[in-house]
Amino acid sequence: MTAALTALPTAFEAVKVDYAAVGPMLVVVAAALIGVLVEAFAPRLLRHTIQVVLTLTALVVAFVVLVLVSVDHHGVTVGGSIVIDGPALFMQGSLLIFAVLGILTMSERFGGRSADAFTPMGAATPGSPAEAAADRAGYATSEAFPLTMFAVFGMLMFVSANDLITMFVALEVLSLPLYVLTGLARRRRLLSQEASLKYFLLGAFSSAFFLFGAALLYGYAGSSDLSKIASAITTANGDLEGLLLPGVVLTLVGLLFKIGAVPFHSWTPDAYQGAPSPVTGFMAAATKLAAFGAILRLAYVGLEASRLEWRLGVAAIAVLTMVVGAVLSVTQTDIKRLLAYSSVAHAGFILVGVLAFDRTGVSGVMFYLVAYGLATIAAFAIVALVRSGGSEATHLSQWAGLGRKHPVLAGIFALLLLAFAGIPLTSGFTAKFAAFAPAIAHGGLAGVVMVVVGVLASAVTAFVYFRLIVLMYFTEPTGDDVAALTPSIASTIAITVGALGTVILGIVPGPILDLAGRVSQFIQ
Amino acid sequence: MTSGGEAILFWVLAPMAVAGSLGLVFARKAVHAALGMALTMIVLGVFYLAQGADFLGVIQIFVYTGAVMMLFLFVVMLVGVDSSDSIVETLKGQRAATVVLSLGLGVLLAGALGRVTIGDAPADKVHALNAQNGNVSGVAELIFGRYVWVFEATSALLITAALAAMVLAHRERLGSRPSQRAWSERRIRSGENLAGLPVPGVYARHNAVDTPALLPDGSPSELSVSRVLTARDQVGNATPWVEAEREIERDVSQDRDRDDAAKEDRA
Repeated sequence: MTAALTALPTAFEAVKVDYAAVGPMLVVVAAALIGVLVEAFAPRLLRHTIQVVLTLTALVVAFVVLVLVSVDHHGVTVGGSIVIDGPALFMQGSLLIFAVLGILTMSERFGGRSADAFTPMGAATPGSPAEAAADRAGYATSEAFPLTMFAVFGMLMFVSANDLITMFVALEVLSLPLYVLTGLARRRRLLSQEASLKYFLLGAFSSAFFLFGAALLYGYAGSSDLSKIASAITTANGDLEGLLLPGVVLTLVGLLFKIGAVPFHSWTPDAYQGAPSPVTGFMAAATKLAAFGAILRLAYVGLEASRLEWRLGVAAIAVLTMVVGAVLSVTQTDIKRLLAYSSVAHAGFILVGVLAFDRTGVSGVMFYLVAYGLATIAAFAIVALVRSGGSEATHLSQWAGLGRKHPVLAGIFALLLLAFAGIPLTSGFTAKFAAFAPAIAHGGLAGVVMVVVGVLASAVTAFVYFRLIVLMYFTEPTGDDVAALTPSIASTIAITVGALGTVILGIVPGPILDLAGRVSQFIQ
Repeated sequence: MTSGGEAILFWVLAPMAVAGSLGLVFARKAVHAALGMALTMIVLGVFYLAQGADFLGVIQIFVYTGAVMMLFLFVVMLVGVDSSDSIVETLKGQRAATVVLSLGLGVLLAGALGRVTIGDAPADKVHALNAQNGNVSGVAELIFGRYVWVFEATSALLITAALAAMVLAHRERLGSRPSQRAWSERRIRSGENLAGLPVPGVYARHNAVDTPALLPDGSPSELSVSRVLTARDQVGNATPWVEAEREIERDVSQDRDRDDAAKEDRA
């Protein structure tokens, strides 16, 4: 008996959880779970209102917790899975703001009973009588809100993941809801479902790549902790050296897929076009930020010591991304695909900042992500407003003369386009400067080459945006009955915040740049 | 390096695992693909057991092969395949490019990973840990200790999956289900197949749902076979049974002729 007892393992010790540090994540996931229960028990007609109020409240509470409590609880927690440091807090805060704006645009009803962007019944065959009957009966896919919250939870975890296993699970938690949301568009549903399937299949492939790479890095370092991988790289590892580079390449492939870097970008235009416009905006802003957060952490905390082996490869990808994104955006005739290729080009610009390998690079990248995200959410919210015959008028020719009919809306959109182009006095210029300057200062020859390509690519994309502005203001409208719907207060807030952010970050970028600079130190 | 027994185990089972996974990729029928995957999963489970990861090996076989893959098989068999997959290449040369690129990736990875030698140290560590705490308690301590956050976060994944399945696949019935009377009225009004669809063929030596019935002119009736079987290309052929029936008829008539002849003889 005593022999059996002594053979038992030592008493189990639970890991210490710094609840203050992970508070925002807990609030978000709790709201998601409550949202699922609301779907199960609340009366159908009340669900939309309950979900919107619940998610917005939770996001605001999470942000308040983050700003008031979590900021004082830096450190590695939950046994090493999560690290809360400056960049993690900055990016979590930005993600929560993006989520609020995203939820506001998703909740747009245009006077109807349910969210305008989402199909009344995802399982009904597109265009079938069942779909129309579901719409008449007041059905709605209000599950979109808890799904969004799960995605936000995954993103919050992604930017603060301290080991590769946590990073992988976070990647899946953020991706899975987005695959579903992509397939739930109310109009042009076949396109939406196709986009969802493509996104899912390619996303599954890239996750497999990430997992393969993580396994190789685990084999190399004997641990999936980023800090242990870093120390394994600095102490030469003899026999296992061959595992490092394949592991790095495969994990980076998985992450570069999420940001839509060429040649892993092929899902971007289809998914952006097919997804409901508010979801596209949220996805473009928040996924990009979360994925760059993970890339920054992996590159700066885990793999920095081995950067000479893979830096040039990623630099080549950055150049390719900028060139392909810029050139292909010229040929687009659909506004959503155009913005998608522009987002590909922006991913390249941001990668330039990542490859600076300096604190200023981190702050520049974070600033760029915030500026780009605010403008993108507002831009897609505006795309959702411009309608022709009940569905979104996404063909470029339909945007001709929009500036005469809707001067304010077209004006805001033009402002956002100027920001995308990087014109001074908009956030885009400051952001490009913040991302490119470190690359020149610390990136050596490759950095200079990347910046030169980046500036040329910016010029090409600027041409695309100016052409669109000319189209909106100086071209006769076509015969189509294109008109912009009047947004409700929710969309108006989202568009206003996006536009104001674009202007403020362009004219007085100081405070946010300072903040990003102060919090740009990763905990190793 | 590995002991002789483990080496034999590996070289016998590893080709089976590879064959199973190739079967998963290249099988034309979903059931065959699923069985190929199940084979690979079982072999992996055996490998885990051989390497001292008892819990993982057993769970791999129980959960993946026993539960997940069998559930998948049931789904494949229950859902049925109404339409065959389109295997038309929309992008020209895609398949050739895929083969070249994946072979290239395979060669690169094999070249990089093939040079790596992993000594006995990791295996010794596993055996030491197993001897100290026991395999199951060791895994439990990791799951509920160091990796508890990840373990809990996985639940978000499962809830998302359940919610996604409900959103994308659950079709609530709007309005009332048509009664038998309504169906009957609809059939009469349409004027087609008033007596219901014909039943599958019943022959002297055989009857089965996959064999079509014969129309008066001797041609098989497509309506008598389930459309799922038609889509799966599993419809049987009536000819052998018809011929067998004819043979019996011939025998019977010959017997009768003989009997008649005998009667005439007696008379």
